[in-house]
Amino acid sequence: MITKVLATLAVVITGAILLYGTADFPAFGDPNSPASAGVEGGAPSISQYYITKSYDDTKVPNLVTSVLADYRGYDTMFETVVVFAAGMAIFAILRVFREDDDGVPNATHSNGNSFTDGDHSRIIVGTTVRIVVPVIQLFSLYVVAHGHHSPGGGFQGGVILGASFIILALATDLETALSRFSEKSYFALAAIGILIYAGFGVLCQVLGSDFLDYGVLQKIFLTDGPEMARSHSMLGVEVGVAFTVTGIMFAIYANLSSRGTLKSGL
Amino acid sequence: MIVTVISVILILAGLIFFLGAAVGVIRFPDFYTRMHAAGKGDTLSSLLVLLGFAVYQLRDFESFSESWLILLVILKLIAISAFILITSPTSTHALMDAGWEDKVKPEIAKDRSNHLGEDCPKRK
Repeated sequence: MITKVLATLAVVITGAILLYGTADFPAFGDPNSPASAGVEGGAPSISQYYITKSYDDTKVPNLVTSVLADYRGYDTMFETVVVFAAGMAIFAILRVFREDDDGVPNATHSNGNSFTDGDHSRIIVGTTVRIVVPVIQLFSLYVVAHGHHSPGGGFQGGVILGASFIILALATDLETALSRFSEKSYFALAAIGILIYAGFGVLCQVLGSDFLDYGVLQKIFLTDGPEMARSHSMLGVEVGVAFTVTGIMFAIYANLSSRGTLKSGL
Repeated sequence: MIVTVISVILILAGLIFFLGAAVGVIRFPDFYTRMHAAGKGDTLSSLLVLLGFAVYQLRDFESFSESWLILLVILKLIAISAFILITSPTSTHALMDAGWEDKVKPEIAKDRSNHLGEDCPKRK
């Protein structure tokens, strides 16, 4: 009882302080706020800089992507690491390796065509999934590759790609999905994604510039100037993000749905 | 002009089916009939509204060489329609099947004979 009262008190006080803090924020979209207008006689506005200069700097029409993947690339790299850490935490908490601990009763698993075996319902859902999953995967690649020209990017495309494997696991069973995208490969994919992202950063250092300062990569991409090199590098790191998100999405589903046994989940 | 009128008619028809689906979800008595209202109404109305959008895109169409970009938009809308046409009924079916396997009883009027009540798996 006393703990509940104390916990409620802590939550209420924290919430009140946070609400009090929001009162000092500039109004939403206020053009005179320091972020939008800069400080008088001091720093110029960073928003104005992004809006007016980002296309000249990076040749990326999607302003959000250029801020996310280039100007604030360091932040986004660790966002990807957070996703990876979430997958690792799921693995550490849920994954069980004991043979006797099935978690769920064994579903009968035939070796035939697992899409259309069994009763009518599996035929309908299985056929639809067979038609739809390739389209979803193609669309996810489009979303990843088009991230710097239109809404999209690594996180969104990775989620769509991961979801396509989840649909496969839902429509058939977890073993079928795991036979196409095994535990080894999804965690390897997730780790490779972060390696790609960090590799771009280290590559910039090797070529004599700062971490994630893509402009210097024009020596490798053989582009006319640093702008196009930054654009290409953004695509590269988006691919890395997509790898990580894809792997971890499916890792979380596989572990949660089978209580960590990776056997006959939902 | 005529294109706009056609598209408005299509979108309005879609909205009417949306309304029907919403009313059905609220008014029908049991899980299966509610799902049937949601599944059918949702699919048809989405298709009609998207078709209306596609027709609306044609309003500035002059010649193929000048306005082929419009056709690209229409192609994307049709692709979305095809996707909905396949996935929406399937998801309704999968939900229905899950309900049946989970032993959700269909509601059957007292004075009607129907085998569904006996066929439904019994709750333990």
